[in-house]
Amino acid sequence: MSGDPWIWIGAVLTLMIFSFLYKDNPFYKFGEHLFVGVANGYYIVYYWHNALKPNLFEPLSAGQFLYVVPLLLGLLYFTRFIPRISWLVRIPIGFTIGWGAGLSIPAYFQADVLRQLEGTVVTPATFSNTLHGIYAVIILIGVACTLIYFYFSREHKGVLGSASKLGIMFIMIGFGASFGYTVMARVSLLIGRIQFLLGPWLGLID
Amino acid sequence: MKWYDRIATIDRRIIYVLLTVLVILPFFVKVTIPQKIMPQTQKLFDFIESIPPNDRAVMISFDYSPQTQPECHPMAKALLKHCFARDIPVIGLSFDPEAPGLAVDALVSVEREIDSLATRKEDSIVYGVDYVYLGWKSGRIAAQLDMGEAIAGVFPRDYYGNLIDSLPLMQNVKNYKDIAIVVILAAADYPIDWIRYPQTRYGVKVAAGLTAVMAPQYYPFLQTGQVSGLMSGMKGAAEYEKLVLEHGYACALGTAETGMNSQSMIHLLIMLFIILGNVGYFFARRAGKAPR
Repeated sequence: MSGDPWIWIGAVLTLMIFSFLYKDNPFYKFGEHLFVGVANGYYIVYYWHNALKPNLFEPLSAGQFLYVVPLLLGLLYFTRFIPRISWLVRIPIGFTIGWGAGLSIPAYFQADVLRQLEGTVVTPATFSNTLHGIYAVIILIGVACTLIYFYFSREHKGVLGSASKLGIMFIMIGFGASFGYTVMARVSLLIGRIQFLLGPWLGLID
Repeated sequence: MKWYDRIATIDRRIIYVLLTVLVILPFFVKVTIPQKIMPQTQKLFDFIESIPPNDRAVMISFDYSPQTQPECHPMAKALLKHCFARDIPVIGLSFDPEAPGLAVDALVSVEREIDSLATRKEDSIVYGVDYVYLGWKSGRIAAQLDMGEAIAGVFPRDYYGNLIDSLPLMQNVKNYKDIAIVVILAAADYPIDWIRYPQTRYGVKVAAGLTAVMAPQYYPFLQTGQVSGLMSGMKGAAEYEKLVLEHGYACALGTAETGMNSQSMIHLLIMLFIILGNVGYFFARRAGKAPR
């Protein structure tokens, strides 16, 4: 069993959180509140020392007065709390949206739309490997039928209805795969905690 | 209470106890469930294999937090072992504020492991020569784009406060032209920014090691070639550990491979409960006790 007090703190807090699996209790509540408090404290201190101080206050104190502009823009967010001048918050919001949209729209269109459309194109070259050709056709059918499922301008009857039904099957397969991966992820976290309890704390495994 | 009601309403605490027992059991009882290497993990491994030694660097973005350590930390260690064993320089950095501590832990523990086995001075790992950790930076999109011009412009100093230009490794690594691939180890949607911005503008190769929850989102990018390889959750980490061991780049498996036996057992149990729940529901519905 470990003699390191930090390992003990980690182990006891882990058990406190796991106690919720039986039912809600004061130990769980303590662990939960402690986690929220520590996480907030960590983020505040981290951002102060690694973002605000080196990127804003140090350049300002070194006489780089151009940094007054981002400082003012940042401070304008706090006008939200003063009803008389709360309209000023629109300035930093407008700046952020303008910058964000200008940067992300072309990049999003290129990476998420055009390249993904390319991925659904089936050409004779796709069949140079038969298996890849079959996959490409399945992807093409899946994309088309899923899009038809979300096409609401006409009633889903006849060919449109059949394609829409096939589309929902593809969607369900997607949900199933996501659910399976989510289960795997959550179980992985449990395994990680058990490995910590059995290994560093109890010393029963390497 | 009828039998079908009983199997459809098993007390959740019984399920938790069974889950815990099945997680613990494989650590003490030898259970070997074979793991098949998935093509996306093999693809990443092959890409790293194709990088010539002492040529272009691999950039690893450590963007996971302690909560997801069981999935992403073994990936980091296996990938680092692979790079160091093949003399591929590594540049580490982070955009997740919780990641730097874990990144340093992964880098230092792999460095110590390799150094403890090294018989010659040349085989040991030297900070600043074999790897550099740049630390954390806020405003990740701007930082990712600016690194296309000059990494030193974004990170003038490394995590330890050394001037970037003073580090021997960084004399040869100026921007993305000197980076063979960026591997993002993440528990959140960080890789998409690398695909949308540096890849679109500078053509950077991107690969990812993701928590299993995140992985399905990136399969479309894998299919289009925007992602050059993918490790999916603990399974992906275990596969990479296995590949690294099989190729002689490590002398033992990591924590992911041992965890996968528990993982497989749990999956069987969950499948059993899903079947039991559905059988219970089916018969209850036939008896007119459950809503249709």
